[in-house]
Amino acid sequence: MRVHTRGSRFRSIATTVAVVTTLLLAAAAGCDSQQEPELPSVQEKLRQSHIWGQSTLRVGVATNEPLMGEVRNGVRVGFDVEIARYIAASLGYEGDQRIEFVSVSTEDRIPALQGGLVDFVVSSFSITEERKKLVSFAGPYFVTTQEVMVPARHKDAIRTIEDLRDPKYKICTSGGSTSEAELEKHQIRTQVVKNVGDCVAGIRAGRYDAVSSDETILAGFLARYPTEFEIVDMPFGTSELLGVGVPIGDPALRDLVAYFLDKSYQQGRMGQASPWQTAYNRTLGPWLRAEKRQPQPLDVPRLVDFDDKAPRR
Amino acid sequence: MSRAAGATTGDPDAAGPTAPAPRVPAPPPSGPGGESAAAEPSRTAADSGWDQVERRARASQSFWTAVVGVPTIFSVLRLGVEAGGELQTTLLLVANVGPINLLAGFLTTAARLLSTALVAVFALGAVLAAGVRAAPRRPLFARWIEVIPAWFVAASFLTALVTWPLLYLPLLVPAAAAAFQLRPEQLHERAVPRVLVVAAVFAGYLWLLVPTLRDAWQQGEALPIVLLVVPPLLALFVAGPLPGVVVRPLASLTQVAVLVVLVWAALPVISTPVLPLTVTTVGDGSDVTEDIRGHVVTTDDVNMVILQVRGGVRYVPVDQVRGQVLCPSEEELPRHQLRVRDFHVEDSLLEGLGRRVRPVHRIDAACRTAR
Repeated sequence: MRVHTRGSRFRSIATTVAVVTTLLLAAAAGCDSQQEPELPSVQEKLRQSHIWGQSTLRVGVATNEPLMGEVRNGVRVGFDVEIARYIAASLGYEGDQRIEFVSVSTEDRIPALQGGLVDFVVSSFSITEERKKLVSFAGPYFVTTQEVMVPARHKDAIRTIEDLRDPKYKICTSGGSTSEAELEKHQIRTQVVKNVGDCVAGIRAGRYDAVSSDETILAGFLARYPTEFEIVDMPFGTSELLGVGVPIGDPALRDLVAYFLDKSYQQGRMGQASPWQTAYNRTLGPWLRAEKRQPQPLDVPRLVDFDDKAPRR
Repeated sequence: MSRAAGATTGDPDAAGPTAPAPRVPAPPPSGPGGESAAAEPSRTAADSGWDQVERRARASQSFWTAVVGVPTIFSVLRLGVEAGGELQTTLLLVANVGPINLLAGFLTTAARLLSTALVAVFALGAVLAAGVRAAPRRPLFARWIEVIPAWFVAASFLTALVTWPLLYLPLLVPAAAAAFQLRPEQLHERAVPRVLVVAAVFAGYLWLLVPTLRDAWQQGEALPIVLLVVPPLLALFVAGPLPGVVVRPLASLTQVAVLVVLVWAALPVISTPVLPLTVTTVGDGSDVTEDIRGHVVTTDDVNMVILQVRGGVRYVPVDQVRGQVLCPSEEELPRHQLRVRDFHVEDSLLEGLGRRVRPVHRIDAACRTAR
């Protein structure tokens, strides 16, 4: 009997504790359901960025880089242009009537961002420590290497970095590029012009003998003049990480661009058709010697978006 | 009062925890002898029986008034909030939002809140009723639980099952155990098979949740872990009578708490729009277009009437409408980054299944920038 009473008492206390704990948990759940998300949302970042309220987005792209950024029949085409369109659409600027493409040369990219001429730049813009002091980068969205393109007349003569040092050859590159710095590092005297396109035109006119730049840019010119040039693989040893340049004073916009590049990367990883892959297949894909994949973007912020609840599988 | 309660709760087995509450008035005393002495108790018993029937009728009336009245009042209040407090805009909405649409819209957005309130009332009512079975005056929720038909209780729990977010769904287990007074003893009369059944069910439940719990641990989210793991364990103990000293304060406290929580949780529901959020692109023939974020109240041959999010009503000529897209609202943004077997923890079973039927969810660009 005593044991029975003790059991009942225990049961009674257990019920009380269980009821009170359930009520407390229900209250905690109620509070939790009313809270704001801890992570910032895409919309919040958008409101913080300088583009909030703009009717159009100004994007800096190259005009004379076949396969990357060029104007064909009055329409902007190229891998960089496609990436720019994807980012712009993700930010709420879909269709070319909402995007104002601004032509920027290699050396004008940083001043254009600093001067507020463009909202961001997608133009074979290599991420370097030096540049990071002046502008912000989101990405990389492409990894490329530095190569040399020679005209058919020199294809047997120029094969090594040593050959490039020969003073009888005039090596051309674009000003303010990482290629210029890399050639300088290898004690190669260069003729610096505004764009790689000027180098190619100069070679065709007989003024220069070789051009050095990113593989992607050179592949574009090779696609334009397939019988006139050849790309020579030289061991410069550095890989170029192409990123989207953003004004240094707008970390919110950088975060958004990085977030959307990562979204495309994650789609590709899950075997879905990603915007990056579509852009690549339509432009660079058929012209590069080795197949490329989208690199994982760095410093991607954790943001909340409307489609976060969608099934992943 | 507490003595009477204590008398029932002292030995639950003897009192019979699942025994039905006395629902019929006490029979009149038999025998003609002792007229004056017996007449008094007889009248008192009859009075008390009549009193109980009266109370039950009142409890039933008050319950159904609350169930029907609260949604109706909320629906009307919502229109006022939706209209931004403007009388003319409210009248415009009243003229264009039909009562069926209004009620359907309300149920869509408030089914979760309503089922939560009902489940809370039923669970608390049953717990309190088990503790004060023989008391002359019982708590309101305990009286309600006696007059509610079983199908209504079951329907409320089913609604909660399909509308509550997965994260809070485990709380339904102790709530159901309390409302239906389910105890582990009912699984099997012997202790060992009982423990084995409970352990197997709980192990299966944990296996289902292991990836979610691991993610929550990595994200440092303690509350989701507690909310997912602890409630099913509480269900083992939650049924049964409470000690008399606990019942009265708990009854008063929970009645006030349910009311306060209802009001607190109702505020966001009242401010949830009745009409879907859209962005309408308007152009007058030139290249210049304007995006209007708002709720389309009505469209006729001449105008599209849009209740703008930033306030005010716009009458847009139909031939100037260039496009229209449906947009999500920021209230739908998730708070947790957790999934249970690819179902987001903040989705209900219904929502999760719906996302499987239409898995692709694309946010239209216009939804990002339009103000």
